Amino acid sequence: LREAEEAAPVFQYAGKAAKRKDRVFVWGFSYSGALGVPSFVKPDAGWKKPRRIQPTPYRLETEEKISSAACGYGFTLLASNTTDITKVWGMGLNKDSQLGFQRSRRDKTKGYEYVLEPSPIPLPLEKLQETRVLQVSCGRAHSLVLTDSEGVFTMGNNSFGQCGRKVIEDEIYSESHLIHQLKEFDSRVVQVVCGQDHSLFRTKKGSVYACGWGADGQTGLGHYNMTSVPTKLCGDIAGVNIIQVSSYGDCCLAVSDEGDVFGWGNSEYLQLASVTETTQVNVPRHLPFKIGKIKEAACGGTGNAVLTEEGNVFVWGYGILGKGPNLIETAVPEMIPPSLFGWSDFNSDICVAHIRCGLSQFAALTNRGELFVWGKNLRGCLGTGRMEDQYFPWRVTVPGEVVDVACGVDHMVSLVKSF
Amino acid sequence: LNAAPRRAPRQQIRFLPTPAPSGGGALELVPTRVPVLAEHPLVQGPRFRRLKIGAGHRLDVKASGVFVLGIGHGNKLLTDLYNCHLTKVYTVGGLFGKATDDFSDTGKLIEKTTFDHITREKLERILAVIQGTNHKALLMYSNIDMQTQEAYELAVKGLIRPMDKSPPIITAIRCLQFALPEFQLEIHCLHETQQYLRKIVHEIGLELKSSAVCMQVRRTRDGVFTLDDALPRTQWDLRSIREAIRNCRLKVETEIEKTL
Repeated sequence: LREAEEAAPVFQYAGKAAKRKDRVFVWGFSYSGALGVPSFVKPDAGWKKPRRIQPTPYRLETEEKISSAACGYGFTLLASNTTDITKVWGMGLNKDSQLGFQRSRRDKTKGYEYVLEPSPIPLPLEKLQETRVLQVSCGRAHSLVLTDSEGVFTMGNNSFGQCGRKVIEDEIYSESHLIHQLKEFDSRVVQVVCGQDHSLFRTKKGSVYACGWGADGQTGLGHYNMTSVPTKLCGDIAGVNIIQVSSYGDCCLAVSDEGDVFGWGNSEYLQLASVTETTQVNVPRHLPFKIGKIKEAACGGTGNAVLTEEGNVFVWGYGILGKGPNLIETAVPEMIPPSLFGWSDFNSDICVAHIRCGLSQFAALTNRGELFVWGKNLRGCLGTGRMEDQYFPWRVTVPGEVVDVACGVDHMVSLVKSF
Repeated sequence: LNAAPRRAPRQQIRFLPTPAPSGGGALELVPTRVPVLAEHPLVQGPRFRRLKIGAGHRLDVKASGVFVLGIGHGNKLLTDLYNCHLTKVYTVGGLFGKATDDFSDTGKLIEKTTFDHITREKLERILAVIQGTNHKALLMYSNIDMQTQEAYELAVKGLIRPMDKSPPIITAIRCLQFALPEFQLEIHCLHETQQYLRKIVHEIGLELKSSAVCMQVRRTRDGVFTLDDALPRTQWDLRSIREAIRNCRLKVETEIEKTL
C-alpha cells in the first residue's frame, strides 16, 4: 500500500510564482445597465427571465486590470491605468452623455441611451499612448476623468456648470460628442470628486477648486449661485494642505494633513450642525470634533462618516447610521464599536482601512480585506443577499480580498484580488 | 465506592415487649429506639450495583481530548449544558500534499499535489474568509430579528449565538504553527462533529490550490471544562474523580445560571 501511495502521480495546480488575479464584482439594480451584464436586462435565451436585482456580488469579466471605479446615479465608470488606446469603460444610463458618445450599431447617426456592457469611452487625448488615467468619478448626470499629464476631462450634463464649461441655454445633452478638458489649476490635480450636481478638484498643493450647482452652498465659494469655471475655495481651508475631499450628495467634507476635517454645503440633516444652525453653509468651516486625528472622510446624501488614525469609524447625520434602529440622527459623531467589524480578543489587530459612502449606504474595508456595508438597502445595493435595510455593519461575502469599493445610489462595484 | 462508609441506618421507635423490671411474667410495652431492619447492610446488599453515566458532546474514535461525563444526578445537568450552546475549542493538525477519501491520513489516497507555493499569509487569508462566512452564519441562525435595537446590542457584545439546532458554525479559527508540509490550527466551534473539522481541513487545502489531510483532532475545551479539569488515564480512580466533580460543580452552576 505504501509503495502504491508513493508511486502515485503528483498534480500541480498552482506554481510558486502564481499571481493573484484582479477581479471586479458588481451588485445592485441592473435594469439601468449599470452592472454591465447585458444578460440581466436582455436574457440570451428565450426562457430565461431578466434579473432586476443582483443581490450578491457577481463577477464582471473585463479585458484589462481595472484600477479605479466610480458609481454614479444609474451608471458606472471603470478605468485602468494602461497606456493602451482604451483606458475608460462606461455602462448604464447615457441620457446626458455622461458616458460620452456611444455610437449605436443599428443607426450610425444616433447614440445609445442605455449602455448595457462596459463600452470604451474615447477621450480626446493628445498623447494617446502615453497618458494614464488615474481616477474617475461620477455624479448624478456628469462624470470626471483624471489623467496624469493632460488634466481633467468632463462629460455629461452641464446645466449647472458642473462640467467646468460655460452653461449654454437649452443645450441638448443626449448624444453629444462634447468632452471638455480642464487644465488651468495652480498645480496638478490629484483627486476629482463629483457631488450630485457639482464637481470638486483637489490639487497637489492642497487647494480645492469647485464648480457647478451652488444653491446649497456645496461649491463653498461664498455664494449660492452656480459656477461654471472651477474656482478656488477659501474660508477655513485657505492655506491648509488638504489631503482628501469627499462628496456624493449636496454636502462636502475635506480632510487636512493634520487630521482636521472641514465641511460645507447642505446641512439640513445636521451634517454641519456642530458649527452652525443654518441649513446651508457656503464657506468651508472647520468641524471641531475631538475624536482624534482623522485619516479619511466620506460624505453621503444625509449621513457622513470619518475614519480616524486608530481605525475607528465615526458616523453622524441622519438616516441609518449603523448603530441600530434607534440612532436615526445625531449632530455629534458617534463611534461604531470595532467588534462589529470583526475585532475581538482573538483578532485584536483588525481595524478599518477605508470608508466609502453611497447616497444612503456606507461601506467599510478592513485591513484583512473584508467588506462591511450598512444603510438603506435600496434595490439590493448592499449586496448582503437580503432586501431588508441593514442597521449595523454586515459582512459581504466576496471570494477574494477587497481592495476598493465604489458605492452608488442603487448599485456598488468592488475591485477584488483573488486568493 | 461500595466500601465507603454509608449512612447510619434510620432509627425508629417501636414498642417492644420486654419483661417488666418488676419481676413476674407480665410483659410490658416499652418504647425503645431500634434500627430499622430493612436498612441493615446485610439486608440491602451493596449500595451501588449500577451507575448511571451519561456522556456529553460526542468525540469519535480517531479524536482525543476533553470528554465530559455525568454520573447519576449529573445527567440532568448535562441536558442543561447542551442547551447552553457553549463553544468548544479544538487543536487540529493537518498535512499538505495529500487528499484521502475520509479526509484523514489513514484513509485511501486519492490525489497528491504540490504545496511549495503555500505561505503563511495565504493560509491566514483563507482562515479570515472562513471566519467571515461563519460569523455571518452565526448571526443568521440565531433567529434574532436584525431590525431591532437589541440585536445590535448583542452583536456589539458578541453574544449572538444560535440557541437551537443549527449546522456546524466556526466562531474563531487561527493558525498556531506553520511548518510546511504540516500546520496546526485552533478552532472554536459550535454544533460540530470531528468529521466536519476534518472536512474543513480538506477544504482549506482545496482553497489553497493544493490538498490537505487532517492528522490530529484534539478537543482542548468543552464549554467550561478545560484540559486542566480533565483527568488523564492514570487518574481514573475514585478519589480524583470525586475531587474533579467537586471542583467543577461551582463552574457549571454559574454557567448554567448565566445562560438560562
